[in-house]
Amino acid sequence: MRLPKFDYRQPESIQEACAILLDQPDAKVLAGGTDLLVNMKHRVETPSMIVSLKGLRDLDYVRKANGMVRIGALTRLKKVYNDPFVAKKLPALAAAASSVGSYHHQTMGTLGGNLCQQTRCKYFNQSKWWRSARPLCFKAGGDPCHVAKKDQVCYSTYCGDVAPALLVLNAEVVLSGREGSKQVPLESIFSGVGKTPLNLEPGQILTEIVIPEQSADGFSTYKKIANRGSIDFPIVGAAVWTSASTGESRIALTAVDRKPVRTRQLEDFLKGLELNEETIQGVDGLVAKETQLMMSSIDSISYKRKLMGQLVKSALSEAMGGR
Amino acid sequence: MKQAIALTVNGDVYEVLISPNQTLLEVLRDKLGLTGTKKGCDLGACGACSVLLDGEAYLSCLMLAVDAVGKEIVTIEGLSEGGDLHPIQKSFVELGGLQCGFCTPGIVMTAKAILDEEPQPTEESVKKKMAGNLCRCTGYKKVIESVMSASGRMGGKQ
Ligand SMILES: Cc1cc2nc3c(=O)[nH]c(=O)nc-3n(C[C@H](O)[C@H](O)[C@H](O)COP(=O)(O)OP(=O)(O)OC[C@H]3O[C@@H](n4cnc5c(N)ncnc54)[C@H](O)[C@@H]3O)c2cc1C
Ligand code: SF4
Ligand code: FES
Ligand code: FES
Repeated sequence: MRLPKFDYRQPESIQEACAILLDQPDAKVLAGGTDLLVNMKHRVETPSMIVSLKGLRDLDYVRKANGMVRIGALTRLKKVYNDPFVAKKLPALAAAASSVGSYHHQTMGTLGGNLCQQTRCKYFNQSKWWRSARPLCFKAGGDPCHVAKKDQVCYSTYCGDVAPALLVLNAEVVLSGREGSKQVPLESIFSGVGKTPLNLEPGQILTEIVIPEQSADGFSTYKKIANRGSIDFPIVGAAVWTSASTGESRIALTAVDRKPVRTRQLEDFLKGLELNEETIQGVDGLVAKETQLMMSSIDSISYKRKLMGQLVKSALSEAMGGR
Repeated sequence: MKQAIALTVNGDVYEVLISPNQTLLEVLRDKLGLTGTKKGCDLGACGACSVLLDGEAYLSCLMLAVDAVGKEIVTIEGLSEGGDLHPIQKSFVELGGLQCGFCTPGIVMTAKAILDEEPQPTEESVKKKMAGNLCRCTGYKKVIESVMSASGRMGGKQ
């Protein structure tokens, strides 16, 4: 499948990249390319220009400093989960990064690209030919949404594996623009709007992921169910972090809404409770209330709802053993 | 707009005129005539197009050719030395790790990346890292056996 035509730039600095992006609002950043190029082959994304970040060498690192673990946005997933500190102390992140696609996607795909990946939908992630049987959907440039059966809305689903793990580790991200950079909670970059899932300003790129080292004190895990264990996006994915010393739990899900979801009501419910078979019995019901499942994948809503409850329960049971 | 780039493939430098929207896979096959690397899905989901980029397993269908400038690319054509098959290839031939052979170049290149990274892998590890290389014929058992045997043949070394 041929890629559509585009102009190509390979800037040498973040500032240069941001300047090009500001100048060309329709340009798209390419990191590992494993998400973007597939969408371009399908003609659901057709940027006039590609700004390849492959020339930026200083965004590839995992470092610890001043109580923070800092990971460059262009660090490839394989390097993230092979890092000894991540592997040992941040198991949710290691498990999530090593569950993305196959070994090849983990070798090519970057952490920043994983977080910023497009939302997905069974009517969107298809070839132009497949899609030509229906009018163009809203996200692909038309009016109707074939999922909601309404115009001008989009319920495509965020399916990234790593975001929920980073959410429960209380990660922040550094966004760089021409005016400089700022650090914001990871959660704040997800808009919850299907058509434009990220809250990045024009000319902004994600340059660093920052995880407080305190998140290493505690139990954490990421669990995923996919059609094939080997290569597929999650049908549902769940990350859990718990602290024995403070009695806190943090829980986040992916593939259940237009953005990755922190289930705060459930967290409040569990606060201070001793985790045991009894207390985790009711989590299924609670967890489902905080997500907005739509028929944007081939899996039914009731199936996803069941999986979600089971995954969170099984992660919490592991936490009981791990504490 | 076409541009001239230099690609280092199997130790040779090739000057080629390409458009930015050409993938490394297209350039290898259509411009350089290196048709050993196969085009399966062309969407990053089958592994048939796997090549080595600076020693690691990359999907050449999801890589822009311009982004491969300055990298050492190795394809299946670059694996054997003279007329001698590489030990990985020998293992696949002897143990029947292939049938129609379409997936084989991608599988062998992925095996090379795996064994370079981990000279004595466990079977579990090979299965996990090979999972993105689909094969419609063999049922994978002999593929895994071939990789394990190659690891032994190479003496657990690169
Ligand atoms: C067969 C297959 C299976 C896959 N399975 C999974 C899976 O199981 N789980 C999963 O999570 N993903 C999966 N993926 C998607 C993809 O491989 C990964 O999400 C990967 O981590 C994306 O990273 P990348 O660097 O290749 O992103 P790219 O494709 O380079 O970028 C993705 C998007 O993010 C934007 N972007 C990239 N970097 C930045 C940045 N620094 N700042 C701002 N915007 C940026 C790009 O413009 C683009 O829109 C799969 C892909 C394929 C083809
Ligand atoms: S949810 Fe609707 S608008 Fe969004 S991608 Fe799917 S069909 Fe298109
Ligand atoms: S052809 Fe590249 S992964 Fe299938
Ligand atoms: S040998 Fe035929 S596809 Fe693998």
